[in-house]
Amino acid sequence: MNKPLRFLIVLLPIIIFSFFAKVLLVEEDEKFLKFNAKNLPSFELNDLDGVAVKSQSLDGIKLVNVWASWCITCLVEHPFLTKLSDENIQIVGLNYKDSSDKANAWLQKNGNPYIFSIYDPRGDLAFDLGVTGAPESFLLIDNQVIAHIQGEMTQRKWETIFYPLINKARNTK
Amino acid sequence: MIKINFFLLAAFIIFSSSNFAEIAYQFDDPAQEKRFYSLISEIRCPKCTSGSIASSDAPVSRDLKNKVYKLVIEGSSDKEIKEYVSERFGVFADYRPPLEGANYILWLSPFIFFFVIAAIFFSKRRV
Repeated sequence: MNKPLRFLIVLLPIIIFSFFAKVLLVEEDEKFLKFNAKNLPSFELNDLDGVAVKSQSLDGIKLVNVWASWCITCLVEHPFLTKLSDENIQIVGLNYKDSSDKANAWLQKNGNPYIFSIYDPRGDLAFDLGVTGAPESFLLIDNQVIAHIQGEMTQRKWETIFYPLINKARNTK
Repeated sequence: MIKINFFLLAAFIIFSSSNFAEIAYQFDDPAQEKRFYSLISEIRCPKCTSGSIASSDAPVSRDLKNKVYKLVIEGSSDKEIKEYVSERFGVFADYRPPLEGANYILWLSPFIFFFVIAAIFFSKRRV
């Protein structure tokens, strides 16, 4: 066997192994860092109090959180959202495939961190946003969707994805 | 007794049939129907690890199937429908990613790999 070939036989498994290691060991949250900003889809819905909400109502910096009374994980992230709202982060709820009675009862029971919750029983706005279930969260800056995560909001996701973007937006203003 | 059991069994089979769970998609044009079923098997369920929306009953897959149905009936092309879906759910949703940009690596790597292996194989034989 010639030398370059023997070299290749040793090298090839190393290349293949490192390729799979890179793919498999990537942090689950990091995939959310790759996000192409897009415009907020235009919509006209009501909030849970029956007040009309349009896409233009969501100006400035808003955290949009998709939730439902049937969603168990939403209950898990609820204390963290409450903490964010105490820190003056404006959180808009997107109540997804739910009934307004159950949703309002849920907020009454667990506390309401949202400035208001858009009522989307059929999931129309959610569909246009690319929501796959609940909970999910989006960051809106001046009607642009600039971040999207699936699953519960955690300290880690907040610090690595959302907070730097908010900070940047605040500093450029 | 046997008769009653037979009726119970018959009733069980009829009522447990998945026909009641499925939403029937009605088409006047068989070509549209064919396109619909091929499209839903080519769009990945965004909520599943791997599986098309055809094989999934997740709420988002149901919504996607309804949307694809509506778009097929309205006369959108396959390309338009796939663009509609990937605008919202990302290129991840398309089981057949378009041959462009970084996807060249995806499409061509099996051939490159094949040629590398073939080259090694033949050079080995010469020695």
